[in-house]
Amino acid sequence: MDFVGKRFWFFIISSLVIAPGIVFLILAPGLNPGIDFTGGSSMTLRFSEESNIEQEQVRDQLIDLNYPEATVQNLGDNSFFIRTKELNEEAKDALVTNITYSLDEGAENVLQGFDLVSPIVAQETVMNALWAIIAAAVGIFFYIWWAFRNVPSPLRYGLAAIVALIHDTIIVIGIFAILGELMDMEVNTMFLIALLTVIGYSVNDTIVVFDKIRENVLIYSNREFPEIVNLSISETLGRSLNTSFTLLITLIALVLFGGATIREFLYVLLIGVAAGTYSSIAIASQVLVSWDQKSIAIPFRNKTVS
Amino acid sequence: MRRNARALITIALIITICAGIIGFQNISIGAFNRGGDTPLGLSLGLDLQGGSHLVYEANLVDPTTGEKQEISKDQMQSLSHTIERRINSSGLGEPIIQILGEDRLLVQLPGIRDPGRAKALIGETARLEFRHRTLNAPPQPIESVKPENIKSIGIDELREDGKLISELDSKDKDDQSQALTSFPAVIVEFDETGLENFEDLFYELALSLEKAAEAVAAGDYSSPADQINISIEGTEELRFSTLANSIRRIEDTPRFGIALPSDETGMEGVLTVENAEKKLGNNPEIKFAVKKGYLDEDIGLSGDDLKTAYAGQHQASGLPIVNIEFDDRGTRIFGELTTDIFAKQEETGIRDQIAIVLDGEELIAPTVNQPITAGIAVIEGADFTMTRVKDLALLLESGRLPVPIELIQERDVDAILGADSLRKSVIAGFIGLALVLIFMTLYYRVPGLVASIALVIYSVIVLAVFKIIPVTLTLSGVAAAILSIGMAVDANILIFERMKDELRGGRTMLSAINIGFNRAWPAIRDSNVSTFITCGILYWFSDQLGATIVQGFAVTLVIGVGISMFSAIVVSRTLMRVVALSPLSRKTNLFIPTGAKNIANREST
Repeated sequence: MDFVGKRFWFFIISSLVIAPGIVFLILAPGLNPGIDFTGGSSMTLRFSEESNIEQEQVRDQLIDLNYPEATVQNLGDNSFFIRTKELNEEAKDALVTNITYSLDEGAENVLQGFDLVSPIVAQETVMNALWAIIAAAVGIFFYIWWAFRNVPSPLRYGLAAIVALIHDTIIVIGIFAILGELMDMEVNTMFLIALLTVIGYSVNDTIVVFDKIRENVLIYSNREFPEIVNLSISETLGRSLNTSFTLLITLIALVLFGGATIREFLYVLLIGVAAGTYSSIAIASQVLVSWDQKSIAIPFRNKTVS
Repeated sequence: MRRNARALITIALIITICAGIIGFQNISIGAFNRGGDTPLGLSLGLDLQGGSHLVYEANLVDPTTGEKQEISKDQMQSLSHTIERRINSSGLGEPIIQILGEDRLLVQLPGIRDPGRAKALIGETARLEFRHRTLNAPPQPIESVKPENIKSIGIDELREDGKLISELDSKDKDDQSQALTSFPAVIVEFDETGLENFEDLFYELALSLEKAAEAVAAGDYSSPADQINISIEGTEELRFSTLANSIRRIEDTPRFGIALPSDETGMEGVLTVENAEKKLGNNPEIKFAVKKGYLDEDIGLSGDDLKTAYAGQHQASGLPIVNIEFDDRGTRIFGELTTDIFAKQEETGIRDQIAIVLDGEELIAPTVNQPITAGIAVIEGADFTMTRVKDLALLLESGRLPVPIELIQERDVDAILGADSLRKSVIAGFIGLALVLIFMTLYYRVPGLVASIALVIYSVIVLAVFKIIPVTLTLSGVAAAILSIGMAVDANILIFERMKDELRGGRTMLSAINIGFNRAWPAIRDSNVSTFITCGILYWFSDQLGATIVQGFAVTLVIGVGISMFSAIVVSRTLMRVVALSPLSRKTNLFIPTGAKNIANREST
């Protein structure tokens, strides 16, 4: 299969996926920070003794009432501690009335406390995490540069890996900006963690493909570089697909059978794993080839080497 | 073969130890304690496990008017930071701290490992003070019990359960089962006011005695209990002093009995009831005075004068100590204080102390070994542990909270991610893992099975390491663990793909395995090293910037990836070698993935 010759299309596909995300990031409010970062309201609800309500029921009610961001903690004694986005008096009354009506009709004095709450995680944390990620990317760049010192232009490998990493990060953030706008999804600490995981996976996957290129460059020193890259991609394809397949099995099992509270987190991982696998083949390797050929193989104009 | 055997034994040993670590809910060897009532005894964060839910209310009262004062946003912020710092440096786990409304603070702590310690650390502290503790305080006469409050004074035989021998009824007398001792005592009858005031006095004495006894039990003999001095003017004078434990309220009467000193004390020496009565005469007058075991004097030295406090180890002995440093004002006052105390010590031999008091509660009361005028001091203690000195340093360092707080609500709370939801996710995780194992076995055949076994071993080791360190697992830790499992699977897949290439090339099983591993090694090494670098940088940066979630992720990932390398390189490889030497290895197609069936057929024909 000719991967290298189709690099123009790979770049187009990625651009098409990334572009709307970026538009949403810039035009719309972008990523909606979750209550972890903004604070909001908190309340304690106490249901009647014979109500026997589970945490999950309260959470389902809140989702139905359009508070998907709410967290619910069981305090025991039929009481629940709930954090939501900031509520005004009216919204609060409506929420309490609705939940009481659905879960424990007729119960009185359900609302035991209602307060504004400060953020759990300072907003700076997100910026700080971003700085940490950038620093880590620089570290990875230098390591790859060093690890590929035996092949020609090792610097390109380092940069290409970082390009793939940025690509994956932007895809995940962009898709979330769109989902945030369309489905009220918010960025919380879980999102941050998932992003870190995606970055770890992305680098790991890119290096495996690059390792094969490194090996083949040294073995087939008489062949053209695009050809070597193409061979390396073909040889690692089985492994790349199998590895991402095993991760996807686990993630899908978690989405299907797991609890609702970590679903958002899993979506980010799913998108990220798919993007990470794709970018190793379609972005990182193709950046290497394009750089080597000084061409992104635009069809109908420049003939690619074959 | 011998090499394989040795490796196999090592692996078996590691598995046994790790399985043991996970299998036993609680592990404690001396001071080393791990486990708890969590799943497998792992320590879990607030998102995965419930904990304590504490609500504090800030109370700022104007000292002159006694009215409640308004609390500013800044004060609440700084209160929340101080408490967060205390908890974070204590190893009690990652807390959630939120300002509730205007003047309340919500603190959620994971687990219920040590609620007492948590509450003590958060404290309700208004003020940290250093006081001069004098041990030879002069007795203070008790003004609240006046001669007119006393109705009668007599001498009688008092039994230790608070009954008078002369007044025992027949039932009590016959009751020989209780071999209770009795002793001669002064019996004082009070009027209502006298009784009330003497009772208060008695409770104070008892409390002080209890405290002193506790201190002695903890090995601290430096803070003696309060004593009561009794002086009776009768025909002769009768004076003695005693502790709360020789005073009894005589049941259902307004009378108290105070035991006379026994022979051994060598006091006034009047001991029998008759002798004592003789001394009392007809119109005795009694006076009480209390000699405090110690007296704390405010010297104007407080937490404000403290520059820093930190835990450390003694240079010579290596024992845990607390280092403290004062600012200029503190250095001056502390210098005067220690010089005074030391001078008194040299002169009289009485070892006064410096009581360090946090909101009225004594933290510690060290003695003085030498005058300290440089403002730098070290607190040592025979019973100090590293945890204790860290807590002490924290409490000293963060000295006082910007506003005093009061605990108004304390409850247990469930995990943020919901116990019910998490239970499902754990099951789903197992389903996912099982599917991965099945897929690997079906696709990669025997090597896939070996890799599956290696993966299970990997999981056991990772969990054991998490438990031993202990790593507090939060969702970010679980994410890192999933990623490291992915990497462990990946390493195995890499090796098998390489092995398949070699088998295809017609190599023998054993050499295919060896070459497969060697060829896959650079990729495994580079991807894992870059992960290590990432984690190192993430850890360092987030430490500097205070992003604790990122930190937890980095720590778990390093552990996971490290062990995944061990699992792929040592465990899988050894198991594969063993398989290769078994008769199974002759069936080449059992070692070639489903996708490569054609190649296998071609080779065998």
